[in-house]
Amino acid sequence: MEHKISIMVMSGVEDGQLHTCATANNDGLLELDNEAWVLRLGRHADNDICIRNDTYVSRYHARLHWRDHRWWLEDCNSRNGTFVEDRVEDARVFGTIPVEINQLFCLGHTWLRIQPPEE
Amino acid sequence: MFNIALRDILINAKQESFRMYHYYLGVEHLFIGLLEIQGGLTRSLIEAQGLTADYVIDAIRRQTGKGSQQRLWAGIQHTPRANIVMSIGNDLALEDGRQEMNERDLLIAILEENDSIPIRVMRKLGVDLEMLARESRTFVPDYTNSHPYVQIDYSPDFPVSPALNENQLFILRRMFDEYSQIRVERRLTGGYTQALIALVTPKQGDGSEDAPVVVKIDSADLILDEAMRYDQYVKTSLPPLTARLEEKPTTAESTDLAGLKYTFVAGVNRTEQNLRLGARDLGIQRVGRWLQEELYPYFGRTWWQARKPYRFQVWQEYDWLLPPILTLEYAGEEPSSSIQHVLRDPIRRRKLTELEYGDLVAVENFSVQRVYPEKDMIQIAIGKGSEAAKRAYKINVKNINLAQNAYYRGETLERIMGRVWKNREELLQHAAGEIFPTFDTRADHIPGIPEVEKLPNPLLAYEDLLELHVNGSLSKIHGDLHLGNILVGPNESAFLIDFAQTRDGHALFDWATLEISLINDLIVPVAGQEWTNAAQIARCVYAINRGAALPNVPPELAESFAPLQAVRDIVNECLAKQDKWAEYFVALTMCSLRAVTWDTMSIGGRRAMLLIAGLALHELRARPTRSTPGARTPSYFEDSNDTDITS
Repeated sequence: MEHKISIMVMSGVEDGQLHTCATANNDGLLELDNEAWVLRLGRHADNDICIRNDTYVSRYHARLHWRDHRWWLEDCNSRNGTFVEDRVEDARVFGTIPVEINQLFCLGHTWLRIQPPEE
Repeated sequence: MFNIALRDILINAKQESFRMYHYYLGVEHLFIGLLEIQGGLTRSLIEAQGLTADYVIDAIRRQTGKGSQQRLWAGIQHTPRANIVMSIGNDLALEDGRQEMNERDLLIAILEENDSIPIRVMRKLGVDLEMLARESRTFVPDYTNSHPYVQIDYSPDFPVSPALNENQLFILRRMFDEYSQIRVERRLTGGYTQALIALVTPKQGDGSEDAPVVVKIDSADLILDEAMRYDQYVKTSLPPLTARLEEKPTTAESTDLAGLKYTFVAGVNRTEQNLRLGARDLGIQRVGRWLQEELYPYFGRTWWQARKPYRFQVWQEYDWLLPPILTLEYAGEEPSSSIQHVLRDPIRRRKLTELEYGDLVAVENFSVQRVYPEKDMIQIAIGKGSEAAKRAYKINVKNINLAQNAYYRGETLERIMGRVWKNREELLQHAAGEIFPTFDTRADHIPGIPEVEKLPNPLLAYEDLLELHVNGSLSKIHGDLHLGNILVGPNESAFLIDFAQTRDGHALFDWATLEISLINDLIVPVAGQEWTNAAQIARCVYAINRGAALPNVPPELAESFAPLQAVRDIVNECLAKQDKWAEYFVALTMCSLRAVTWDTMSIGGRRAMLLIAGLALHELRARPTRSTPGARTPSYFEDSNDTDITS
């Protein structure tokens, strides 16, 4: 099965930048007979999505998992935390939590968003 | 200046980027650049939505946060989103036959792109973006007729002095600009706050009067916070008939003030009266019954009665009431080798008392609560936990160059350094000195009343109390429940106003606050202002604390305690554990100690407060808390697990 994701940077110097990953380009890691897909996010260049301009982002900061037909966000014990947007106060991510398309989440000081799939 | 050219906006935007250590140009900087144009289009439109430019700028800064002072690239590059916005703006200018985009083009471009940080922030603040988009295309400021003249009359009940100042009058006219005339009926404030709260009757052009509304005018930041808080916490929990905020706040570019209107759903003709002024009309005996039978049941169902078990340390709910733990003289943000003490969560209070004048202190991960541009000072606090805990351990940092450093409310400061200028003890002792005590305010005990030989000195003894764990309850609370904020409506129904402090907090906080207000507003005027009068009040409070009959005092004074007795009956229903009164005496100690520092309270009131705080502490000591075997020091409060009474 083919997987694809587009993530838009929503703040910082790369605000508006679109990062696209796809299994067709050998991005990420396939698991469970290709049903699950894992992407790594962080400041180090060998991440699938590299955020190099935010010193508050850890080298290996977080992961996005595609599993059971939805996206999950995992914080990898990052120094400054991963957060998801909430109405009153942003909530820190501990462990792995579900994340919606179009929901904003934050690594260090950098906000990101999973874009709806193109038709 | 209206519709100015792009280059001037870019100067503002770049300055903002440098102030925030961002070193790139994003849509947020462009938008702040627009907001900073005095008399500009964006500023006017934001104001028309009941916000101020500064309030929106602070909210945007909170969203982005400051960058690091270390630069990761040279020059100042545009973000991809800023490039998109600029190209939309350029197209708009070209379509209109102009070479360069102007203020309006840039604003329209930001609104069309519709996905940037300022857009998301405005959505959170409740800005109507569709209306903004419409008006950004058509709005032209009308300098000739922007402030229609509204005639202001005063009712004979309205005191001549202090007169309303020019800025208050300006906001007031603006709030009622669809009317030709208004009458200010009476002042509803009792003076704990700087805010003006007044009852106002608007009059139509044909002379007919509309229902009176309560108007509150205060600094724009506080008013806008109150409006946000009302939307988030209050709106859904109000009983069907009460005062509501129906409109957006009114702001103005020419002043830092803003105004709110509380309208009454009942829409009646008679004028509402607050309990501070109305207690005598209602009859002092009736006030108590009214609190019990009207106010408490009517609001209680969604507020104090809807409570959940809540275990907290006293400082988490009550430290913020006290004066700042430290006042520091700013000494930069860079680490230094001569730091005497680092202050960070958790705070070691014992260490604080050892600090001396001039010691260098580093404070880490505190957040900015208030910025005082006219005093070159900021106030920071711990910024974490419950609503009240966020404001605990206030520290004032003075002599900061605020023109150079962009501090904004809600900003978390990784580190700020300062030299000790004053501590909390000095401020408390100063407040005690103001009420001219005839005794040593630095001694462990103060002379009080014949019934208690050794009254603990609250100015010293509160310290141990802050560490105590309380098994109490959490509910929605008003946060400032004094008599001035309680209105008696038609058919003697209960109305509350002023939701600036409404939050989830210790359920008994409101009742301790109300007890303080009852003593100051209804009892002290009867008793008198001298220390002997304060002692007389204290003897009565002591009897009530003990559930005993009042001592032999003049009948009029005895009568004035009836409402306080009613408050205690309400408290009895709100205690987390039946008959475990220690929970309330904790709240009463802290609320009365806070009142000692209020220079707006009468001198007799503050004298009584010092004794009442001592008495509440005495009750806590007389009802020993469960102690842990092998406790380090045999203090009354130390290391106790909770406030359970063992006897």
